[in-house]
Amino acid sequence: MSEHSEHTVRERVEAAIRAGSVKMKPRWHFVLFSAFAFTGIALVFAGLLYITSLAVFFLRQSGAWFQPAFGSRGWLALLHSLPWLLILLVFVFIVLLEILARRYAFVYRRSLVTSLLALAVLAAAGGFFIAKTPFHREMYRHARQGDAPAPLGALYRVFHPAHPDLYRGTILRFIPGGFIIVDQEDGTSTIRVSPRTRLPYGADFSEGDFVVILGDRVATDTVQAFGVRMLEDEMRMK
Amino acid sequence: MKKETDEEVALRVQKGDTEAFGELVERYQDKLSRYARKFLSDTDDAKDIVQDIFIKTYKNIQSFDASRRFSPWIYRIAHNEFVNALSKRSRAPLFQFDMDTIFPHLTAAESADDRALDRSLRETLEKYLSALDVKYREPLVLYYFEDMDYKTIAEVLHIPVSTVGVRIARGKALLQKMAKPQDIYE
Repeated sequence: MSEHSEHTVRERVEAAIRAGSVKMKPRWHFVLFSAFAFTGIALVFAGLLYITSLAVFFLRQSGAWFQPAFGSRGWLALLHSLPWLLILLVFVFIVLLEILARRYAFVYRRSLVTSLLALAVLAAAGGFFIAKTPFHREMYRHARQGDAPAPLGALYRVFHPAHPDLYRGTILRFIPGGFIIVDQEDGTSTIRVSPRTRLPYGADFSEGDFVVILGDRVATDTVQAFGVRMLEDEMRMK
Repeated sequence: MKKETDEEVALRVQKGDTEAFGELVERYQDKLSRYARKFLSDTDDAKDIVQDIFIKTYKNIQSFDASRRFSPWIYRIAHNEFVNALSKRSRAPLFQFDMDTIFPHLTAAESADDRALDRSLRETLEKYLSALDVKYREPLVLYYFEDMDYKTIAEVLHIPVSTVGVRIARGKALLQKMAKPQDIYE
């Protein structure tokens, strides 16, 4: 009985093949599918790197990145400045990538936590690397000048973080009890420095330095500095 | 004369020798029928499902990489068919959210002694298998009845090797709870 039914399976399969009711899919079908799948994964990964690096760029650009050096108030400023929508998008892209890549052995062989962590580390490393290149700086510059492609320009304008207690600018000149900075809109602010102001150890600011100040605006054009940090020249934007 | 490997036969099919596919059916129909009976817990539609597996295998054989092993590949097709069949029965997708695959596990590696010792448990396994949750039942079937190692099972089920170990250990523990002590130790 068993033998008969086993033969029947073979015979039925062979009969279906011979009759042409079952057709082998051509190799190109699978090659095309793999190419689509690979392209999809590559695009999502590129998107993930782009968004991660954009988030890092904005944090560096606003000066929020360096605020933890100022203690708990600095950490609060950093938390306040985090581009949460971009961070949420990073999570969405990581999950999407995990779903797309789960069919491949190098992903399914690992636990979900391991592969998600690996993706997060990869995204962070790639994001930091890209954020250090001039790519976002140039895009940001074009967005500010209004000559970036519409959706990208909007992206740089919408997500640009602005923490109310962070001020960035170039030191114009020193005055008694502080200095004057000129910001990227060519506006000037007086920065008052007191003995309680947190300055980097061994800091020796000079005119023309690009700095970020965490502080309270005490008058229309005057800020009482809680802390001052020098920014890299590459973050200067006009 | 040296017997052709499954991969060599599959390669012949890929190159256009469709008659050779019958050889693959011959080699796997018993194994897949047994896998179906154990996994699906009844034989009503097992034969039809096994036939569907071979039809799917034929349709998709050009996607098989002949430099890899054929067995896990066809078992993967079988697994998908069985899961679909069970989903249709229960009208709910299986393995929706599986904690076993979320965190990495540290499990003892499989050993030949374990497998030999566990052969005495096969009757218990046969008796209570259908009462086990599908996610524990399947690795037990593949390990004890299809004689696959953890790595191959992981390849078939698309889960980490450590998860296979966890599921087999938990499945055995559940079986022992279900079974009367004399079933196991007599």
